[in-house]
Amino acid sequence: MKRTVKVLLAVAITLLILVGSIAVGSVNLTPGQVAEILMAKLSGKAGTIDPNLSAIVWGMRFPRAVLAFLTGAALSASGTVMQSILKNPLASSYTLGVSSGASLCAALVMVTGVTFPILGSLFTLPAAGFAGGLATVFLALAFAARLDGKMENQTVILVGMVFSLFVNAILTLITALSREHLQQMVFWQMGGFTGRDWSHVAVMCPVLVLSMLMLQRFTTEMDIMSFGEEQAMSIGVDLKRVKLLLIGMAALLTGTAVSLVGVIGFVDLIAPHVVRRIFGSAHRLVLPLSALFGGSFLMLAELVSRTIMAPTIIPVGAVTALVGAPFFALVFFRGRKLK
Amino acid sequence: MLHLKNICAGYGNGDVLHNITFDLPLGQNLCILGPNGCGKSTLLRAIAGLLESRGELTLDGKPVADMRRPEIASHMAMMSQMSTVYFSFTVYETVMMGRYQKLRRGLFASPSKEDKRYVEQYLQATGLEPLRERQISELSGGQLQRVFLARTLAQEPEIILLDEPTNHLDLKHQTELVAYLKKWSQEKGRTVIGVLHDINLSLMLSDQLLFLKNGSVAGMGPAHTVLTKAFLHEVYDMDVASYMLDSLKRWEQVS
Repeated sequence: MKRTVKVLLAVAITLLILVGSIAVGSVNLTPGQVAEILMAKLSGKAGTIDPNLSAIVWGMRFPRAVLAFLTGAALSASGTVMQSILKNPLASSYTLGVSSGASLCAALVMVTGVTFPILGSLFTLPAAGFAGGLATVFLALAFAARLDGKMENQTVILVGMVFSLFVNAILTLITALSREHLQQMVFWQMGGFTGRDWSHVAVMCPVLVLSMLMLQRFTTEMDIMSFGEEQAMSIGVDLKRVKLLLIGMAALLTGTAVSLVGVIGFVDLIAPHVVRRIFGSAHRLVLPLSALFGGSFLMLAELVSRTIMAPTIIPVGAVTALVGAPFFALVFFRGRKLK
Repeated sequence: MLHLKNICAGYGNGDVLHNITFDLPLGQNLCILGPNGCGKSTLLRAIAGLLESRGELTLDGKPVADMRRPEIASHMAMMSQMSTVYFSFTVYETVMMGRYQKLRRGLFASPSKEDKRYVEQYLQATGLEPLRERQISELSGGQLQRVFLARTLAQEPEIILLDEPTNHLDLKHQTELVAYLKKWSQEKGRTVIGVLHDINLSLMLSDQLLFLKNGSVAGMGPAHTVLTKAFLHEVYDMDVASYMLDSLKRWEQVS
Protein backbone atom coordinates (compact mmCIF):
# COMPACT_ATOMS: atom_id res chain seq x y z
CA MET A 1 0.00 0.00 0.00
CA LYS A 2 1.27 3.45 -0.83
CA ARG A 3 2.43 5.66 2.01
CA THR A 4 -0.09 8.42 1.22
CA VAL A 5 -2.95 5.94 1.27
CA LYS A 6 -1.79 4.61 4.63
CA VAL A 7 -1.64 8.15 6.05
CA LEU A 8 -5.13 8.97 4.73
CA LEU A 9 -6.42 5.73 6.20
CA ALA A 10 -4.90 6.61 9.58
CA VAL A 11 -6.58 10.04 9.50
CA ALA A 12 -9.92 8.46 8.52
CA ILE A 13 -9.71 5.96 11.40
CA THR A 14 -8.93 8.81 13.82
CA LEU A 15 -12.02 10.73 12.68
CA LEU A 16 -14.12 7.59 12.98
CA ILE A 17 -12.95 7.03 16.56
CA LEU A 18 -13.63 10.70 17.33
CA VAL A 19 -17.22 10.43 16.09
CA GLY A 20 -17.61 7.09 17.88
CA SER A 21 -16.40 8.42 21.21
CA ILE A 22 -18.81 11.36 20.97
CA ALA A 23 -21.76 9.22 19.87
CA VAL A 24 -21.45 6.29 22.26
CA GLY A 25 -22.23 6.51 25.96
CA SER A 26 -25.13 6.45 28.41
CA VAL A 27 -27.18 8.17 25.70
CA ASN A 28 -26.35 6.83 22.27
CA LEU A 29 -26.45 9.19 19.30
CA THR A 30 -26.23 8.65 15.58
CA PRO A 31 -23.26 10.09 13.66
CA GLY A 32 -25.79 12.36 11.97
CA GLN A 33 -26.93 13.79 15.31
CA VAL A 34 -23.32 14.31 16.36
CA ALA A 35 -22.57 16.19 13.14
CA GLU A 36 -25.74 18.24 13.50
CA ILE A 37 -24.94 19.28 17.07
CA LEU A 38 -21.33 20.12 16.27
CA MET A 39 -22.34 22.14 13.19
CA ALA A 40 -24.99 23.98 15.17
CA LYS A 41 -22.51 24.84 17.92
CA LEU A 42 -19.80 25.91 15.53
CA SER A 43 -22.16 28.07 13.46
CA GLY A 44 -23.85 29.49 16.56
CA LYS A 45 -27.38 28.46 15.50
CA ALA A 46 -29.10 26.27 18.09
CA GLY A 47 -32.04 25.35 15.79
CA THR A 48 -34.23 22.42 16.81
CA ILE A 49 -31.57 20.49 18.76
CA ASP A 50 -32.42 19.11 22.20
CA PRO A 51 -30.41 21.28 24.64
CA ASN A 52 -29.72 18.24 26.84
CA LEU A 53 -28.10 16.35 23.97
CA SER A 54 -26.23 19.46 23.00
CA ALA A 55 -24.90 19.78 26.56
CA ILE A 56 -23.78 16.13 26.61
CA VAL A 57 -21.97 16.43 23.30
CA TRP A 58 -20.50 19.91 23.56
CA GLY A 59 -20.07 20.14 27.30
CA MET A 60 -18.80 16.65 28.08
CA ARG A 61 -18.03 14.15 25.35
CA PHE A 62 -16.45 16.37 22.73
CA PRO A 63 -13.96 18.12 25.05
CA ARG A 64 -13.14 14.77 26.70
CA ALA A 65 -12.47 13.12 23.33
CA VAL A 66 -10.40 16.07 22.17
CA LEU A 67 -8.41 16.08 25.42
CA ALA A 68 -7.88 12.32 25.14
CA PHE A 69 -6.58 12.82 21.61
CA LEU A 70 -4.31 15.69 22.61
CA THR A 71 -2.82 13.93 25.65
CA GLY A 72 -2.37 10.69 23.72
CA ALA A 73 -0.60 12.63 20.98
CA ALA A 74 1.57 14.47 23.51
CA LEU A 75 2.62 11.28 25.31
CA SER A 76 3.38 9.50 22.05
CA ALA A 77 5.39 12.37 20.59
CA SER A 78 7.35 12.51 23.84
CA GLY A 79 7.95 8.74 23.71
CA THR A 80 9.17 8.99 20.12
CA VAL A 81 11.70 11.66 21.10
CA MET A 82 12.97 9.70 24.11
CA GLN A 83 13.37 6.53 22.06
CA SER A 84 15.40 8.37 19.47
CA ILE A 85 17.68 10.05 22.02
CA LEU A 86 18.28 6.84 23.94
CA LYS A 87 18.47 4.68 20.81
CA ASN A 88 16.11 2.30 22.50
CA PRO A 89 12.64 1.27 21.38
CA LEU A 90 11.78 0.48 25.02
CA ALA A 91 12.56 3.94 26.37
CA SER A 92 9.82 6.36 27.26
CA SER A 93 9.21 9.34 29.47
CA TYR A 94 7.92 6.86 32.04
CA THR A 95 11.15 4.84 32.13
CA LEU A 96 13.17 8.02 32.61
CA GLY A 97 11.12 9.28 35.50
CA VAL A 98 9.41 12.20 33.72
CA SER A 99 5.94 10.88 34.56
CA SER A 100 6.78 10.26 38.22
CA GLY A 101 8.45 13.65 38.62
CA ALA A 102 5.49 15.35 36.99
CA SER A 103 3.07 13.41 39.21
CA LEU A 104 4.97 14.34 42.36
CA CYS A 105 5.04 18.07 41.62
CA ALA A 106 1.42 18.09 40.46
CA ALA A 107 0.46 16.26 43.68
CA LEU A 108 2.33 18.83 45.75
CA VAL A 109 0.34 21.57 44.03
CA MET A 110 -2.91 19.75 44.81
CA VAL A 111 -2.04 19.15 48.45
CA THR A 112 -0.67 22.60 49.20
CA GLY A 113 -3.16 24.41 46.98
CA VAL A 114 -0.50 26.88 45.81
CA THR A 115 -1.01 28.94 42.69
CA PHE A 116 1.89 30.52 40.83
CA PRO A 117 1.09 34.24 40.64
CA ILE A 118 1.60 34.82 36.90
CA LEU A 119 0.26 31.47 35.74
CA GLY A 120 -3.05 31.44 37.60
CA SER A 121 -4.87 28.34 38.75
CA LEU A 122 -5.31 26.94 35.23
CA PHE A 123 -1.62 26.80 34.31
CA THR A 124 -0.07 26.16 37.73
CA LEU A 125 -0.65 22.40 37.61
CA PRO A 126 0.87 21.82 34.14
CA ALA A 127 3.76 24.15 34.93
CA ALA A 128 4.48 22.16 38.09
CA GLY A 129 4.20 18.93 36.11
CA PHE A 130 6.64 20.19 33.51
CA ALA A 131 9.12 21.39 36.14
CA GLY A 132 8.90 18.12 38.07
CA GLY A 133 9.28 16.01 34.94
CA LEU A 134 12.22 18.02 33.68
CA ALA A 135 13.98 18.05 37.06
CA THR A 136 13.64 14.29 37.47
CA VAL A 137 14.87 13.41 34.00
CA PHE A 138 17.90 15.69 34.29
CA LEU A 139 18.74 14.40 37.75
CA ALA A 140 18.48 10.85 36.44
CA LEU A 141 20.66 11.64 33.42
CA ALA A 142 23.25 13.49 35.52
CA PHE A 143 23.40 10.56 37.92
CA ALA A 144 23.71 8.08 35.04
CA ALA A 145 26.52 10.16 33.52
CA ARG A 146 28.46 10.02 36.81
CA LEU A 147 28.00 6.25 37.03
CA ASP A 148 28.87 5.56 33.44
CA GLY A 149 30.70 8.12 31.35
CA LYS A 150 29.55 6.48 28.15
CA MET A 151 25.90 6.73 29.27
CA GLU A 152 25.14 3.23 28.04
CA ASN A 153 21.47 2.55 27.42
CA GLN A 154 21.14 0.01 30.20
CA THR A 155 22.62 2.40 32.77
CA VAL A 156 20.37 5.28 31.72
CA ILE A 157 17.23 3.16 31.75
CA LEU A 158 18.06 1.44 35.04
CA VAL A 159 18.88 4.75 36.73
CA GLY A 160 15.69 6.21 35.25
CA MET A 161 13.69 3.34 36.72
CA VAL A 162 15.35 3.76 40.13
CA PHE A 163 14.56 7.49 40.14
CA SER A 164 11.06 6.77 38.93
CA LEU A 165 10.40 4.26 41.70
CA PHE A 166 11.95 6.51 44.34
CA VAL A 167 9.88 9.52 43.30
CA ASN A 168 6.79 7.30 43.18
CA ALA A 169 7.50 6.22 46.74
CA ILE A 170 7.54 9.86 47.87
CA LEU A 171 4.28 10.38 45.98
CA THR A 172 2.69 7.41 47.75
CA LEU A 173 3.85 8.81 51.07
CA ILE A 174 2.33 12.22 50.37
CA THR A 175 -0.88 10.60 49.17
CA ALA A 176 -1.15 8.48 52.31
CA LEU A 177 -0.44 11.41 54.63
CA SER A 178 -2.84 13.91 53.08
CA ARG A 179 -6.12 12.33 54.10
CA GLU A 180 -8.37 15.11 52.86
CA HIS A 181 -6.95 14.82 49.33
CA LEU A 182 -6.56 11.05 49.39
CA GLN A 183 -9.45 10.16 47.10
CA GLN A 184 -8.79 12.99 44.66
CA MET A 185 -5.14 12.03 44.36
CA VAL A 186 -5.70 8.31 44.03
CA PHE A 187 -8.16 8.89 41.18
CA TRP A 188 -5.88 11.39 39.52
CA GLN A 189 -2.93 8.99 39.68
CA MET A 190 -4.99 6.30 37.98
CA GLY A 191 -5.40 8.55 34.99
CA GLY A 192 -8.74 9.60 33.62
CA PHE A 193 -10.84 12.19 31.87
CA THR A 194 -13.80 12.49 34.24
CA GLY A 195 -14.55 16.12 34.94
CA ARG A 196 -12.15 17.38 32.27
CA ASP A 197 -13.51 20.14 30.06
CA TRP A 198 -12.59 22.80 27.54
CA SER A 199 -10.32 24.58 30.03
CA HIS A 200 -8.03 21.54 30.06
CA VAL A 201 -8.12 21.42 26.27
CA ALA A 202 -7.15 25.09 26.26
CA VAL A 203 -3.98 24.23 28.19
CA MET A 204 -3.01 21.05 26.34
CA CYS A 205 -3.73 22.27 22.81
CA PRO A 206 -1.23 25.15 22.56
CA VAL A 207 1.45 23.13 24.38
CA LEU A 208 1.04 20.26 21.93
CA VAL A 209 0.84 22.38 18.77
CA LEU A 210 3.84 24.53 19.64
CA SER A 211 5.94 21.55 20.77
CA MET A 212 5.09 19.58 17.65
CA LEU A 213 6.01 22.51 15.41
CA MET A 214 9.30 22.81 17.27
CA LEU A 215 10.03 19.06 17.31
CA GLN A 216 9.18 18.66 13.64
CA ARG A 217 12.12 20.95 12.87
CA PHE A 218 14.46 18.49 14.56
CA THR A 219 13.38 15.25 12.92
CA THR A 220 16.60 14.95 10.88
CA GLU A 221 18.60 15.28 14.08
CA MET A 222 16.46 12.55 15.68
CA ASP A 223 17.13 10.28 12.70
CA ILE A 224 20.86 10.84 13.01
CA MET A 225 20.95 10.55 16.81
CA SER A 226 19.34 7.13 16.62
CA PHE A 227 22.71 5.91 15.24
CA GLY A 228 24.50 6.91 18.42
CA GLU A 229 25.99 10.07 19.81
CA GLU A 230 29.45 9.74 18.32
CA GLN A 231 28.09 9.36 14.81
CA ALA A 232 25.69 12.24 15.35
CA MET A 233 28.54 14.51 16.44
CA SER A 234 30.67 13.39 13.52
CA ILE A 235 27.88 14.30 11.09
CA GLY A 236 27.73 17.73 12.69
CA VAL A 237 24.79 17.63 15.11
CA ASP A 238 25.31 20.12 17.93
CA LEU A 239 24.55 17.30 20.30
CA LYS A 240 24.40 18.99 23.69
CA ARG A 241 22.09 21.76 22.52
CA VAL A 242 19.81 19.47 20.51
CA LYS A 243 19.62 16.85 23.24
CA LEU A 244 18.79 19.44 25.89
CA LEU A 245 16.09 20.93 23.73
CA LEU A 246 14.56 17.58 22.81
CA ILE A 247 14.52 16.29 26.39
CA GLY A 248 13.03 19.61 27.48
CA MET A 249 10.28 19.31 24.88
CA ALA A 250 9.57 15.68 25.80
CA ALA A 251 9.35 16.65 29.49
CA LEU A 252 7.03 19.56 28.64
CA LEU A 253 4.67 17.28 26.70
CA THR A 254 4.60 14.47 29.25
CA GLY A 255 4.61 16.81 32.24
CA THR A 256 1.62 18.75 30.92
CA ALA A 257 -0.29 15.61 29.97
CA VAL A 258 0.35 13.90 33.31
CA SER A 259 -0.59 16.96 35.34
CA LEU A 260 -3.90 17.27 33.45
CA VAL A 261 -5.09 13.67 33.26
CA GLY A 262 -2.83 11.64 35.56
CA VAL A 263 -0.44 8.82 34.72
CA ILE A 264 -1.40 6.91 31.59
CA GLY A 265 1.13 4.31 30.57
CA PHE A 266 1.97 2.33 27.45
CA VAL A 267 0.64 4.84 24.89
CA ASP A 268 4.08 6.41 24.52
CA LEU A 269 5.67 2.99 24.10
CA ILE A 270 3.20 1.46 21.68
CA ALA A 271 2.49 4.33 19.30
CA PRO A 272 6.03 4.95 17.99
CA HIS A 273 6.66 1.21 17.84
CA VAL A 274 3.61 0.46 15.70
CA VAL A 275 4.19 3.48 13.48
CA ARG A 276 7.80 2.46 12.82
CA ARG A 277 6.62 -0.99 11.80
CA ILE A 278 4.24 0.49 9.25
CA PHE A 279 6.02 3.61 8.04
CA GLY A 280 9.74 2.99 8.64
CA SER A 281 11.95 4.97 11.02
CA ALA A 282 12.24 8.43 9.42
CA HIS A 283 11.09 10.79 12.17
CA ARG A 284 9.67 13.26 9.65
CA LEU A 285 6.77 10.79 9.45
CA VAL A 286 7.18 8.82 12.68
CA LEU A 287 6.76 11.87 14.91
CA PRO A 288 3.43 13.22 13.56
CA LEU A 289 2.01 9.77 12.88
CA SER A 290 2.91 8.52 16.37
CA ALA A 291 1.04 11.54 17.71
CA LEU A 292 -1.94 10.66 15.50
CA PHE A 293 -1.86 6.99 16.46
CA GLY A 294 -1.35 7.71 20.18
CA GLY A 295 -4.18 10.25 20.11
CA SER A 296 -6.58 7.79 18.48
CA PHE A 297 -5.53 5.01 20.84
CA LEU A 298 -6.20 7.12 23.92
CA MET A 299 -9.56 8.33 22.52
CA LEU A 300 -10.53 4.72 22.05
CA ALA A 301 -9.27 3.80 25.54
CA GLU A 302 -11.30 6.68 26.99
CA LEU A 303 -14.40 5.39 25.19
CA VAL A 304 -13.80 1.85 26.47
CA SER A 305 -13.14 3.09 30.02
CA ARG A 306 -16.60 4.64 30.37
CA THR A 307 -18.65 2.11 28.38
CA ILE A 308 -17.29 -1.35 29.12
CA MET A 309 -18.57 -1.47 32.72
CA ALA A 310 -21.12 1.37 32.47
CA PRO A 311 -22.28 3.10 34.55
CA THR A 312 -18.97 2.51 36.39
CA ILE A 313 -16.06 4.34 34.80
CA ILE A 314 -12.78 2.48 35.03
CA PRO A 315 -9.44 4.37 34.96
CA VAL A 316 -8.11 4.98 31.45
CA GLY A 317 -4.62 4.08 32.65
CA ALA A 318 -5.91 0.60 33.49
CA VAL A 319 -7.41 0.22 30.01
CA THR A 320 -4.23 1.30 28.23
CA ALA A 321 -2.15 -1.07 30.35
CA LEU A 322 -4.56 -4.00 30.00
CA VAL A 323 -4.66 -3.61 26.23
CA GLY A 324 -1.19 -2.15 25.84
CA ALA A 325 0.97 -4.65 27.68
CA PRO A 326 -0.07 -7.78 25.77
CA PHE A 327 -0.30 -5.85 22.53
CA PHE A 328 3.18 -4.48 23.01
CA ALA A 329 4.54 -7.93 23.83
CA LEU A 330 2.88 -9.29 20.71
CA VAL A 331 4.29 -6.60 18.44
CA PHE A 332 7.72 -6.59 20.04
CA PHE A 333 8.30 -10.31 20.20
CA ARG A 334 6.60 -11.19 16.94
CA GLY A 335 9.04 -12.97 14.69
CA ARG A 336 11.42 -13.81 17.54
CA LYS A 337 12.00 -17.38 18.49
CA LEU A 338 11.44 -18.22 22.11
CA LYS A 339 14.46 -19.84 23.67
CA MET B 1 47.54 21.34 7.31
CA LEU B 2 46.63 19.04 10.17
CA HIS B 3 49.00 19.67 13.03
CA LEU B 4 49.39 17.54 16.14
CA LYS B 5 51.92 18.34 18.84
CA ASN B 6 52.31 16.36 22.05
CA ILE B 7 48.77 14.98 21.90
CA CYS B 8 47.86 12.87 24.92
CA ALA B 9 44.43 11.28 25.30
CA GLY B 10 42.73 8.39 27.04
CA TYR B 11 39.56 7.05 28.64
CA GLY B 12 39.76 7.84 32.33
CA ASN B 13 42.11 5.06 33.41
CA GLY B 14 45.15 6.95 32.19
CA ASP B 15 46.40 7.99 28.79
CA VAL B 16 46.30 5.67 25.81
CA LEU B 17 48.15 8.13 23.57
CA HIS B 18 51.45 9.67 24.61
CA ASN B 19 52.87 12.82 23.00
CA ILE B 20 51.74 12.17 19.45
CA THR B 21 53.35 14.72 17.17
CA PHE B 22 53.06 15.00 13.38
CA ASP B 23 52.00 17.30 10.56
CA LEU B 24 49.97 16.20 7.58
CA PRO B 25 49.52 18.53 4.60
CA LEU B 26 45.94 18.45 3.25
CA GLY B 27 45.75 16.45 0.04
CA GLN B 28 47.96 13.67 1.39
CA ASN B 29 46.62 10.37 2.66
CA LEU B 30 47.78 8.80 5.89
CA CYS B 31 47.36 5.26 7.16
CA ILE B 32 47.72 4.51 10.84
CA LEU B 33 49.04 1.05 11.59
CA GLY B 34 50.21 -0.91 14.57
CA PRO B 35 49.39 -3.89 16.75
CA ASN B 36 46.06 -4.31 18.57
CA GLY B 37 45.49 -1.90 21.43
CA CYS B 38 48.24 0.51 20.38
CA GLY B 39 45.81 3.45 20.20
CA LYS B 40 44.98 3.66 16.49
CA SER B 41 41.23 4.22 16.93
CA THR B 42 41.86 6.47 19.93
CA LEU B 43 44.10 8.68 17.80
CA LEU B 44 41.43 8.86 15.10
CA ARG B 45 38.80 9.86 17.66
CA ALA B 46 41.10 12.47 19.15
CA ILE B 47 41.75 13.99 15.71
CA ALA B 48 38.00 14.06 15.04
CA GLY B 49 37.49 15.94 18.31
CA LEU B 50 35.29 13.12 19.61
CA LEU B 51 37.70 12.45 22.44
CA GLU B 52 39.18 15.20 24.60
CA SER B 53 42.92 15.48 24.26
CA ARG B 54 45.75 17.55 25.67
CA GLY B 55 48.39 19.15 23.48
CA GLU B 56 48.10 21.08 20.22
CA LEU B 57 45.62 19.88 17.63
CA THR B 58 44.98 22.40 14.88
CA LEU B 59 43.45 22.35 11.42
CA ASP B 60 44.77 25.09 9.15
CA GLY B 61 46.04 26.84 12.24
CA LYS B 62 42.75 26.79 14.14
CA PRO B 63 42.52 24.66 17.30
CA VAL B 64 39.96 21.88 16.83
CA ALA B 65 38.96 22.29 20.49
CA ASP B 66 37.74 25.83 19.71
CA MET B 67 35.43 24.65 16.92
CA ARG B 68 31.79 23.75 17.45
CA ARG B 69 30.55 20.38 16.17
CA PRO B 70 29.00 21.73 12.93
CA GLU B 71 32.26 23.48 12.06
CA ILE B 72 34.37 20.38 12.75
CA ALA B 73 31.96 18.28 10.68
CA SER B 74 32.31 20.64 7.73
CA HIS B 75 36.05 19.88 7.71
CA MET B 76 36.24 16.32 9.00
CA ALA B 77 33.95 13.30 8.78
CA MET B 78 34.57 10.12 10.67
CA MET B 79 33.32 6.67 9.85
CA SER B 80 33.48 4.64 13.05
CA GLN B 81 33.82 0.91 13.25
CA MET B 82 30.57 -0.90 12.61
CA SER B 83 27.74 0.58 14.63
CA THR B 84 24.64 -1.20 15.81
CA VAL B 85 21.46 -0.41 13.92
CA TYR B 86 18.78 0.43 16.49
CA PHE B 87 16.19 1.83 14.11
CA SER B 88 16.05 0.86 10.50
CA PHE B 89 16.16 3.40 7.67
CA THR B 90 16.44 2.83 3.96
CA VAL B 91 19.90 2.94 2.38
CA TYR B 92 18.95 6.18 0.62
CA GLU B 93 17.70 7.83 3.82
CA THR B 94 20.87 6.83 5.67
CA VAL B 95 23.21 8.21 3.01
CA MET B 96 21.16 11.42 2.85
CA MET B 97 21.93 11.97 6.56
CA GLY B 98 25.50 12.74 5.45
CA ARG B 99 24.10 15.89 3.82
CA TYR B 100 22.80 17.09 7.21
CA GLN B 101 24.88 20.27 7.28
CA LYS B 102 23.68 21.34 3.85
CA LEU B 103 20.05 20.24 4.12
CA ARG B 104 17.46 22.98 4.02
CA ARG B 105 15.70 23.42 7.33
CA GLY B 106 12.06 24.06 8.02
CA LEU B 107 8.83 22.22 8.52
CA PHE B 108 8.30 21.16 4.93
CA ALA B 109 11.87 21.38 3.63
CA SER B 110 13.10 18.63 1.37
CA PRO B 111 16.62 17.86 0.09
CA SER B 112 17.87 20.13 -2.68
CA LYS B 113 18.85 18.93 -6.16
CA GLU B 114 22.48 19.22 -5.15
CA ASP B 115 21.96 17.04 -2.05
CA LYS B 116 20.25 14.40 -4.18
CA ARG B 117 23.03 14.57 -6.78
CA TYR B 118 25.71 13.94 -4.15
CA VAL B 119 23.77 11.06 -2.65
CA GLU B 120 23.26 9.48 -6.08
CA GLN B 121 26.95 9.91 -6.87
CA TYR B 122 28.09 8.14 -3.71
CA LEU B 123 25.45 5.41 -3.97
CA GLN B 124 26.91 4.67 -7.41
CA ALA B 125 30.51 4.89 -6.20
CA THR B 126 29.94 2.41 -3.38
CA GLY B 127 27.87 0.05 -5.52
CA LEU B 128 24.74 0.62 -3.42
CA GLU B 129 22.47 1.85 -6.19
CA PRO B 130 20.57 -1.49 -6.47
CA LEU B 131 20.01 -1.51 -2.69
CA ARG B 132 18.82 2.08 -2.30
CA GLU B 133 15.30 1.26 -1.07
CA ARG B 134 16.38 -1.65 1.15
CA GLN B 135 16.17 -1.32 4.94
CA ILE B 136 19.66 -1.18 6.45
CA SER B 137 18.65 -3.73 9.09
CA GLU B 138 18.40 -6.29 6.25
CA LEU B 139 21.93 -5.71 4.93
CA SER B 140 25.06 -7.78 5.43
CA GLY B 141 28.00 -6.38 7.42
CA GLY B 142 29.88 -5.46 4.27
CA GLN B 143 26.89 -3.76 2.67
CA LEU B 144 26.23 -1.78 5.84
CA GLN B 145 29.85 -0.71 5.95
CA ARG B 146 29.52 0.64 2.42
CA VAL B 147 26.35 2.52 3.43
CA PHE B 148 28.20 4.25 6.26
CA LEU B 149 31.09 5.02 3.94
CA ALA B 150 28.72 6.56 1.37
CA ARG B 151 27.18 8.65 4.16
CA THR B 152 30.64 9.82 5.25
CA LEU B 153 31.55 10.73 1.65
CA ALA B 154 28.24 12.57 1.24
CA GLN B 155 29.40 14.96 3.97
CA GLU B 156 31.96 16.26 1.44
CA PRO B 157 34.59 16.96 4.09
CA GLU B 158 38.22 17.94 3.53
CA ILE B 159 39.39 15.06 5.69
CA ILE B 160 37.82 11.65 5.98
CA LEU B 161 38.70 9.56 9.01
CA LEU B 162 38.07 5.87 8.55
CA ASP B 163 38.33 3.31 11.32
CA GLU B 164 38.96 -0.06 9.72
CA PRO B 165 36.72 0.63 6.73
CA THR B 166 37.47 -2.67 5.05
CA ASN B 167 37.13 -5.18 7.89
CA HIS B 168 33.75 -6.53 6.74
CA LEU B 169 34.48 -6.39 3.02
CA ASP B 170 35.51 -9.16 0.67
CA LEU B 171 38.79 -8.84 -1.24
CA LYS B 172 37.18 -7.35 -4.34
CA HIS B 173 35.32 -4.70 -2.38
CA GLN B 174 38.39 -3.95 -0.26
CA THR B 175 40.59 -3.17 -3.24
CA GLU B 176 37.80 -1.32 -5.06
CA LEU B 177 37.12 0.79 -2.01
CA VAL B 178 40.75 1.69 -1.47
CA ALA B 179 41.19 2.51 -5.17
CA TYR B 180 38.08 4.69 -5.02
CA LEU B 181 39.29 6.55 -1.91
CA LYS B 182 42.66 7.16 -3.56
CA LYS B 183 40.96 8.55 -6.67
CA TRP B 184 38.57 10.64 -4.54
CA SER B 185 41.39 12.25 -2.60
CA GLN B 186 43.54 12.85 -5.68
CA GLU B 187 40.75 14.36 -7.78
CA LYS B 188 39.44 16.61 -5.03
CA GLY B 189 42.73 17.35 -3.32
CA ARG B 190 41.39 15.95 -0.05
CA THR B 191 42.77 13.77 2.69
CA VAL B 192 41.97 10.28 3.89
CA ILE B 193 43.26 9.20 7.27
CA GLY B 194 42.57 5.51 7.77
CA VAL B 195 43.20 2.91 10.39
CA LEU B 196 43.98 -0.27 8.45
CA HIS B 197 45.43 -3.58 9.49
CA ASP B 198 46.39 -4.62 5.99
CA ILE B 199 49.80 -3.20 5.09
CA ASN B 200 49.24 -3.87 1.37
CA LEU B 201 46.00 -1.89 1.34
CA SER B 202 47.74 0.87 3.30
CA LEU B 203 50.42 1.06 0.62
CA MET B 204 47.77 1.39 -2.07
CA LEU B 205 45.96 4.20 -0.28
CA SER B 206 48.44 6.33 1.53
CA ASP B 207 51.20 8.82 0.90
CA GLN B 208 52.42 8.45 4.46
CA LEU B 209 52.37 5.65 7.00
CA LEU B 210 52.18 6.20 10.75
CA PHE B 211 53.09 3.30 13.02
CA LEU B 212 51.97 3.36 16.63
CA LYS B 213 53.28 1.18 19.40
CA ASN B 214 52.02 1.38 22.99
CA GLY B 215 50.37 4.72 22.28
CA SER B 216 53.47 6.43 20.90
CA VAL B 217 54.66 7.10 17.37
CA ALA B 218 57.09 4.35 16.39
CA GLY B 219 57.74 5.86 12.97
CA MET B 220 56.16 7.98 10.28
CA GLY B 221 56.92 8.78 6.66
CA PRO B 222 56.48 7.58 3.08
CA ALA B 223 56.54 3.80 2.73
CA HIS B 224 60.11 3.58 1.42
CA THR B 225 61.46 5.42 4.46
CA VAL B 226 59.67 3.48 7.20
CA LEU B 227 59.05 0.00 5.85
CA THR B 228 62.18 -1.88 6.81
CA LYS B 229 62.43 -5.45 7.98
CA ALA B 230 63.89 -4.44 11.33
CA PHE B 231 61.32 -1.68 11.94
CA LEU B 232 58.32 -3.94 11.22
CA HIS B 233 59.81 -6.60 13.48
CA GLU B 234 60.15 -4.04 16.24
CA VAL B 235 56.57 -2.75 15.89
CA TYR B 236 54.74 -6.05 15.46
CA ASP B 237 57.12 -8.27 17.41
CA MET B 238 57.22 -10.72 14.50
CA ASP B 239 59.09 -11.07 11.24
CA VAL B 240 56.47 -9.43 9.02
CA ALA B 241 58.68 -9.19 5.96
CA SER B 242 59.53 -12.91 5.94
CA TYR B 243 55.86 -13.76 6.41
CA MET B 244 54.95 -11.62 3.41
CA LEU B 245 57.70 -13.12 1.26
CA ASP B 246 56.70 -16.66 2.23
CA SER B 247 53.11 -15.84 1.29
CA LEU B 248 54.29 -14.49 -2.04
CA LYS B 249 56.19 -17.72 -2.73
CA ARG B 250 53.06 -19.73 -2.00
CA TRP B 251 51.06 -17.52 -4.34
CA GLU B 252 53.59 -17.98 -7.08
CA GLN B 253 52.78 -21.68 -6.99
CA VAL B 254 49.11 -20.91 -7.61
CA SER B 255 48.72 -21.16 -11.35
